[in-house]
Amino acid sequence: MAALDKTPSGAARADNTEPILSVRDLRTQFFTSDGVVRAVDGVSFDLHRSETLCIVGESGCGKSVTALSILGLIPREIGRVVGGSIRFDGMELTKLDEGEMRRIRGNRISMIFQEPMSSLNPVYTVGFQIAETLRIHQGLSNKAAAERAIEMLALVRIADARRRAGEYPHQLSGGMRQRVMIAIALACNPQVLIADEPTTALDVTIQAQILELMVELKERLGTAIVLITHDLGVVAEVAERVIVMYAGRTAEEATVSELLDNPQHPYTRGLIGSIPRRSTPGARKTTRTRLQEIRGIVPSLREEIPGCAFAPRCSIATERCTSQRPPLETHGPRHSAACWETAPSSALTATSPRS
Amino acid sequence: MSAPGTPSPSADVVLEVKDLKKHFPIRKGLFSSVVGHVQAVDGVSFSIRRGEALCLVGESGCGKSTVARTIARLEEPTAGSIVLNGTDISALGEGEIRPYRRQMQMIFQDPYSSLNPRLTAGEIVSEPLTNFGLAMGSDLQARVASLFERVGLRADAMAKYPHEFSGGQRQRLGIARALAVSPQLILADEPLSALDVSVQAQVLNLLIDLQDELQLGYLFVSHDLAVVEHIGHRIAVMYLGRIVEIADNASLFDTPLHPYTEALLAAAPVPEVQRTKRERIILTGDVPSPSAPPSGCRFHTRCPYVRPECSRIDPPLVEVAPGHHVACLLRPGPSAGHAAP
Ligand SMILES: Nc1ncnc2c1ncn2[C@@H]1O[C@H](COP(=O)(O)OP(=O)(O)OP(=O)(O)O)[C@@H](O)[C@H]1O
Ligand SMILES: Nc1ncnc2c1ncn2[C@@H]1O[C@H](COP(=O)(O)OP(=O)(O)OP(=O)(O)O)[C@@H](O)[C@H]1O
Ligand code: SF4
Ligand SMILES: [Mg+2]
Ligand SMILES: [Mg+2]
Repeated sequence: MAALDKTPSGAARADNTEPILSVRDLRTQFFTSDGVVRAVDGVSFDLHRSETLCIVGESGCGKSVTALSILGLIPREIGRVVGGSIRFDGMELTKLDEGEMRRIRGNRISMIFQEPMSSLNPVYTVGFQIAETLRIHQGLSNKAAAERAIEMLALVRIADARRRAGEYPHQLSGGMRQRVMIAIALACNPQVLIADEPTTALDVTIQAQILELMVELKERLGTAIVLITHDLGVVAEVAERVIVMYAGRTAEEATVSELLDNPQHPYTRGLIGSIPRRSTPGARKTTRTRLQEIRGIVPSLREEIPGCAFAPRCSIATERCTSQRPPLETHGPRHSAACWETAPSSALTATSPRS
Repeated sequence: MSAPGTPSPSADVVLEVKDLKKHFPIRKGLFSSVVGHVQAVDGVSFSIRRGEALCLVGESGCGKSTVARTIARLEEPTAGSIVLNGTDISALGEGEIRPYRRQMQMIFQDPYSSLNPRLTAGEIVSEPLTNFGLAMGSDLQARVASLFERVGLRADAMAKYPHEFSGGQRQRLGIARALAVSPQLILADEPLSALDVSVQAQVLNLLIDLQDELQLGYLFVSHDLAVVEHIGHRIAVMYLGRIVEIADNASLFDTPLHPYTEALLAAAPVPEVQRTKRERIILTGDVPSPSAPPSGCRFHTRCPYVRPECSRIDPPLVEVAPGHHVACLLRPGPSAGHAAP
């Protein structure tokens, strides 16, 4: 697969310490007839080259909107990035016009969308759809693009790639369609791949195939991956770093082992405690136990939340939590959380006499 | 002989299903002639006792929902018997089955579409009580109020409509409605799948509490192995319309015997840091179509241990250890030991 080994067109790779993608205090809002929806309300993270970063959080917490904001895909009529910055390879994406964004999208940053069926065009063959990306972004001839498309299908381990290239999306299984999406996303050898719940609709055995494939391709092609999921099992499997979102905000950011072994934010702690665990052989419980619950429900994003968004459900919340927004504070190397009560500095304030 | 997975025949058995089949006709063409059948459920047997949760796991399309829906007689069984508290209800007509519907209630995956949007929450829960003539007037009000309390909904929520509830609250409403007629058996089809992670724990706890308190039998359909391990007393693994393995919780998770079960357990991601690279069997290939299941063992097209005879011989479900049944040619019985390569 020699064609895949060349660096992306025009993208001189900078030194390895700079993050390839850096999102700071991103805020995206939708303007609906019954008010403003603060879908993303202060998200920050860095993505380094060849790194896999997972974004976790429950339904509606702003994961997909974060991804769409990065790609400049929030429809202007209904919503807008209202604040923050998105830096990609030295460029400020929020300042680019549509023409400039189009050159980046699908080429240097590409995305796998949450619904695979709706993002493949039913009237074109899958081979044609992969080739089209290559013609548009890499200026390949029809013939060269068609050949590359077959190579890409083989790369994502679709058996009999030449025949499959001539088939339509409905002729493929869900797992194969998801591989085609990956093939399209990787066709131009992007620096960043954003994958929005790429395996959620798939069965576990097929999910395992796809995750393995993504990790293998990442290692081979050096693509940095943002993987959006609500499944902490998937996170443990593939992530190097994780951000936990809650109600449009970053609640916690850490390496995967720090996050799972030493969670700081009460929401993260609750989330980890509330998932049923597979027990290890020998350590099996003989009776069924109750799971730890996070009481209550997620807040509405239509009202401004002055304090911590988790405060109404948090068991250690104080007065300050409901009135002042906790900043993301460092808890250790590459570990930060936005919580007043568990922050290292809270130990100081708690012991120091009030003045 | 008792049905596979029956620990011991006893009066405690709420449900006994024997050789249940449900085939859907595939129609094509101008005259909708039947060109084949989807063998959604193709010979499934198990039993459920009072207070016991039997979980049904397996991948999409393997027939889990069809098993539950056929038992609930929402689908006509093609063959087999469904014995509910001693009566075979598989052949009863619509009129005759009515009294039995009270004994089993279904909880659905989608709390959004399974509740009538035009009824208030109070009406949704009281409807089955009035339909079966179980309560009226102030008695009805009191029973509905206590059901609301039981599932953790506030009494003032009775006047609200389904769209005003969150997903978890709607699922509680569905559970309250199912409990209204005091059933002995609950058929729960993916009751947590549409819920957020933090809400799943709430509903799962509620289902466990209710079962322990009311000694309900559960048929719990799920594709989430961690949930199944948490709630299930016994687990049945389905593949293409068949049960390929059924065992008590500890046996199934500690010593899975069917290669498909093994692969399923290996494939499910676990939320723990992977300190060492996990040895995992990753199945290749897709799930075959249930309208043309593979010959012999239905799993042979994807099985990592496949042998030539697997494509010829259809392995029966055999008891290889007490209460542990498996359908695989490599597992001939307890005496022969494990023949895994
Ligand atoms: N077009 C829109 N108009 C109004 N609100 C929207 C729109 N798209 C998204 N939202 C709102 O923005 C919030 C974030 O949505 P988003 O799709 O990012 O959630 P998510 O974290 O991806 O959830 P899921 O896990 O369900 O995919 C939600 O509250 C959603 O209702
Ligand atoms: N009414 C129907 N008519 C025709 N085929 C059907 C019908 N209902 C289900 N099937 C088919 O029967 C098979 C089993 O479906 P079923 O819904 O029971 O699977 P399942 O195990 O519940 O899957 P999932 O995990 O996706 O819910 C599938 O191939 C499905 O397409
Ligand atoms: S800031 Fe307060 S409310 Fe928010 S998580 Fe921390 S303790 Fe709980
Ligand atoms: Mg989303
Ligand atoms: Mg189903």
